[in-house]
Amino acid sequence: MSNATRNRIDGADSTAGDLLSRGVLATSVVVFFAAWTLLLQWVDETAAVGGVSALKLLGVGLVVVGVGLVVVGVGSRLGYVDTAPSKTAGVPVGVVFGLLWAAVGGLLGTLALGNAAVLWLPVAALFGLAGFLASVLPREDVGATVPGAVVLLLLGGFVAAGGVNAGWTWAPAWSSAVFPGSELVPILVVFATLLGAWCAGKANEGFGAEGRQAGAYYLVGAVVFAMLGVLALLVGFIVTNGLATMLTRASLAGGELTVPLVGVELPWPEFPFLTNPTGGLFVEVPGVLPAIIGTLWLVFGAVLFAVPLGIGAAVFLTEYAERGRLTQVVEVATNGLWSTPSIVFGLFGLAFLVPRISGGNAIFVGQLVLGFMLLPLVLITSREAILAVPDAHRDASAALGVTKWQTIRSVVLPAAMPGTITGVILGVGRIAGETAPLLLVFGGPPYPSTTPNVLGSFELTAQPPFVTNEALLSPASALPYQLYATITAGVFPKEIFTDTQFGWGTALVLLLVVVGLYAVGVGSRLYFRRKLHHE
Amino acid sequence: MSETDTVDGTDQRVTTTGETSERVREAWSDYEFAGDAKLVVDDLDVYYGDERALQGVSLDVPDESVTALIGPSGCGKSTFLRCLNRMNDRIDSARVEGSVTLDGEEVYSDGVNLVELRKRIGMVFQEPNPFPKSIRDNISYGPRKHGDLDTGLLARLLGRDDTDDEEALVERVLRRAALWDEVKDRLDDNALGLSGGQQQRLCIARALAVDPDVILMDEPASALDPIATAKIEDLIEELAEDYTVVVVTHNMQQAARISDQTAVFLTGGELVEYGDTDQIFENPESQRVEDYITGKFG
Repeated sequence: MSNATRNRIDGADSTAGDLLSRGVLATSVVVFFAAWTLLLQWVDETAAVGGVSALKLLGVGLVVVGVGLVVVGVGSRLGYVDTAPSKTAGVPVGVVFGLLWAAVGGLLGTLALGNAAVLWLPVAALFGLAGFLASVLPREDVGATVPGAVVLLLLGGFVAAGGVNAGWTWAPAWSSAVFPGSELVPILVVFATLLGAWCAGKANEGFGAEGRQAGAYYLVGAVVFAMLGVLALLVGFIVTNGLATMLTRASLAGGELTVPLVGVELPWPEFPFLTNPTGGLFVEVPGVLPAIIGTLWLVFGAVLFAVPLGIGAAVFLTEYAERGRLTQVVEVATNGLWSTPSIVFGLFGLAFLVPRISGGNAIFVGQLVLGFMLLPLVLITSREAILAVPDAHRDASAALGVTKWQTIRSVVLPAAMPGTITGVILGVGRIAGETAPLLLVFGGPPYPSTTPNVLGSFELTAQPPFVTNEALLSPASALPYQLYATITAGVFPKEIFTDTQFGWGTALVLLLVVVGLYAVGVGSRLYFRRKLHHE
Repeated sequence: MSETDTVDGTDQRVTTTGETSERVREAWSDYEFAGDAKLVVDDLDVYYGDERALQGVSLDVPDESVTALIGPSGCGKSTFLRCLNRMNDRIDSARVEGSVTLDGEEVYSDGVNLVELRKRIGMVFQEPNPFPKSIRDNISYGPRKHGDLDTGLLARLLGRDDTDDEEALVERVLRRAALWDEVKDRLDDNALGLSGGQQQRLCIARALAVDPDVILMDEPASALDPIATAKIEDLIEELAEDYTVVVVTHNMQQAARISDQTAVFLTGGELVEYGDTDQIFENPESQRVEDYITGKFG
């Protein structure tokens, strides 16, 4: 260890280098967000900022980042900037930069030699090897910046010099796809700025282990941002498209609530889209109430069926059955059941349950089929939750002379409750939006004029099965089913909405219903957690 | 109780000191004490699978006293303790042969009601293990499950609930466990919010709540700091006025401080010597015990 590198403990205190790498980092972040605004069409790609087109500005930003990186890297190598680099940037960096250079080489090769793999492949390989060696051979401060920075310079320079403008398209000969410059450039810039931020993050901490740690931090942060961005984009898209439909003729005080017995009428919020039936002669604003009620009944029935069975099976498998072949088989089977495509469950319901129970599409069969789908997840998660309850609790209870079943009921299950509820929440999220099996066993007219009246339809009879419920044995509508029908059938009966508008409104309501169910689940999980822990 | 611990050392020692150990055994087998024997253990063998964890242990535990079980790790002292209230039944591979009687009743006969047995022989574990419930619920858990306390909704509606009895019980056992003054204002708080030492005293109180005759403690202070340990030790000595306490400990000073009689287990699950604590620590019969106590072995 006598020749181990020794750097100053209080390294990277050079103000100039620090400022420079921070500037590069900031530029990368700014260009990154700018590219997103273009991608999301918040700024038009032909827009000009300060007389320069937005695309060109992105190119200039990349050039700035590239030049900055080269200056920091070379400056550090020449000793103008105080850093603590390792001897080499390392193979992972080499592979990343090598792949980048291989892509550059492939592009140039195709342009120069034509679209034959025999011709461009060696060029790409050569460029890739060069990129790899250029990253790995020099000291880290050069190897981890310059090869990447040159790629940024090439790309940025090409865009800034006007090689690509808004109307430019790239139609590669090997594919029928056409990439418009207005989208291709921002996408490339997003990735290029990530690369720039990675390198600049390393440089900012003076390379070495600390630098790599900083680089990884920025990369991971960017990935999280991208993930949240995709989510926000999705939700935002549904909300912006569906909100107008959902709020059609809605008002906060336009409705009237007649207080029972007294007869006083009070102003009341009015949301016709949420409270009206879909079909019917005298409905001005068709709503989704029947579908909301249908979805809620489906979820309620499925939970009622699956949760007790799932928890019961989990208790048996964990507390009573000996661990061995049987429990393993059950484990594998439940995992398989959980990943079985939902249409298969639907087909089973159609072929097996429908003829035996209702003779046609029915809410009850829908509940059962969704319950079958929910069962494995409830079983898996409550099994995990029960296994996670410490044995110390069971020992303590047994030592007090309390029987096994009482222990399970009073100690094990309460402690396993939050985990079990998490499973139910996940499962409910899946089945509430399930469409395929509902098409087969559940759906009736997609635009019903009445809501299913399940509670009011229970009747006692003298013959078996002694209780009947006409509503449960009738088909109904549910939100995802109605959404599917609206989009595919496209014969929405009222002129106030187009098919698409009504569809987006339904989608938004479905989203809200699922979020509402989540809220109930998360709330009850919090309640049980509070009870278990001192908070 | 791990398999590796029991193998080394034992065989060699048994062969070299076989004759003397036989002589010592005769000496302490006649151990006489004042008062009645609460627990009588006769020729107890325990096997985990093929491995023998206890070898023919015989021991009489006197009533209303503290009996300490000491010995190195893996010597079978915890196994022995768990035989007394049949907690070893919960381990599938464990097999017990021999006899244990509580007040003359055989613990290992077929008709034994484990609920009743464990109500009379309570247990406190090494790690404090209160339930994730309120302090009050921890105390009344046992009596409620045994039907001695009914505070359910139905009973409350019918006006037959035992809420007052529960209050009295909680206060009585918490005072007995020297915890009342520290927790009397927060009986409804979660027990996991207590410190380690408080949790262990709560576990002792919980064991007292089912009104046992015997309390088994498996290294009750080994996870605690010195101050909490001192409190537990004081408590054990107080409890011996009304209860028969059997304590496993690997801390010889602790055994010397709190116990009336001491049993020394050495590797291989063998009870080497049993007698008055003073005699064991000052003048042991067995050379092996003397080596262990003076730190030459173990």
